[in-house]
Amino acid sequence: MNSELVNQVASDFGANGLPYALPIHPNLVHLTLGLFIIGIAFDIAGALFPLQRTILKFLSLTAVRSNFFDVGWYNVLASAIITFFTVASGFYEILLATPAAEDVSAWDLNAMQTMLWHGLGGVMLLTLIVAMAVWRGFQRFKWRKDSIRQVQWVYLLAGLGILFLMYLHGTLGAQLAGEFGVHITADQLLRSGQDPNVVLR
Amino acid sequence: MFEYLPPLNEHNLPYPDTIHPIVVHFVIAMVLFAFVCDFIGYFTKNPRLYEVSWWNLFFATISIFISVIFGQVEAGLSLAYDAAKSTLNLHTIIGWSLSAILAGITGWRFVIRARDPQILPPAYLGLSIFLVALVCFQTYLGDKLVWVYGLHTVPVVEAIREGTL
Repeated sequence: MNSELVNQVASDFGANGLPYALPIHPNLVHLTLGLFIIGIAFDIAGALFPLQRTILKFLSLTAVRSNFFDVGWYNVLASAIITFFTVASGFYEILLATPAAEDVSAWDLNAMQTMLWHGLGGVMLLTLIVAMAVWRGFQRFKWRKDSIRQVQWVYLLAGLGILFLMYLHGTLGAQLAGEFGVHITADQLLRSGQDPNVVLR
Repeated sequence: MFEYLPPLNEHNLPYPDTIHPIVVHFVIAMVLFAFVCDFIGYFTKNPRLYEVSWWNLFFATISIFISVIFGQVEAGLSLAYDAAKSTLNLHTIIGWSLSAILAGITGWRFVIRARDPQILPPAYLGLSIFLVALVCFQTYLGDKLVWVYGLHTVPVVEAIREGTL
């Protein structure tokens, strides 16, 4: 965002350009990603359950197949709920971002391109995660209620596709922080010619 | 000896981006969600959620050891400057301790589950509040290392290499 515009509100914000010390979005990202990935992983584990019997027996782990599908359902559902807040906080913090215009990321994108792709990707992923949760709900409560394997193979495949999108999307987010220094106090201090070792002590 | 090690990039890492903050997704999210499931399961008397909680906790325990390994490697390469050192030290001590504490709690949970998967003692719920608090505090410290001190970010690594920080 244009720094003149941001300065209309940010004059009394911290050096990180936010009205609070630590960004909220990256913390909610832990929940979105952790829950979704483990949800898909447990549905895959449930679908391939017969292959794991010997491993589970070796570890003396009692496991019931339907419980794996419970994990798959509840984790993806929780991810869908929390991701609304992840995207909302992400947009708030992207609106207040003032990265340097001349820097280019490892993917040859400048800051504005990276922010636009990350913003667009966030909305797309939210849509996909919510769609997956709804799809998963239909499988669980309607279509495959009485099946031994509660999930369709195509659902698992779609899940893996989304994991790949998450990898691309997450890398863009990591570049905003690690390369452009968006909302990182020390990086913003260095940019304004201050010494983090003195200011942050 | 050092010439046999892979070269370090502008994040001072031998690979493109930090891995520790990715692996910790699975510790933070799974511990918190396990707690939420236990809590809801306990008060709505739905023992099915105890199983969801158990598997999340099981996965968190595997993940914490992987995150400690990557955390230790990346802490060693972090070029932590003086102002960041005390936070990094505390984050390291709590990280190692947390791996033992989480493994211990998961072990207790394993025994509880082996005896009767339908029952969760209130003492366990109490202990898991402590676990959640510790995970949140550890996340706060890790957040500070990235978002306040900017360890492994390009501007900080650059400033340290140039000798200005």
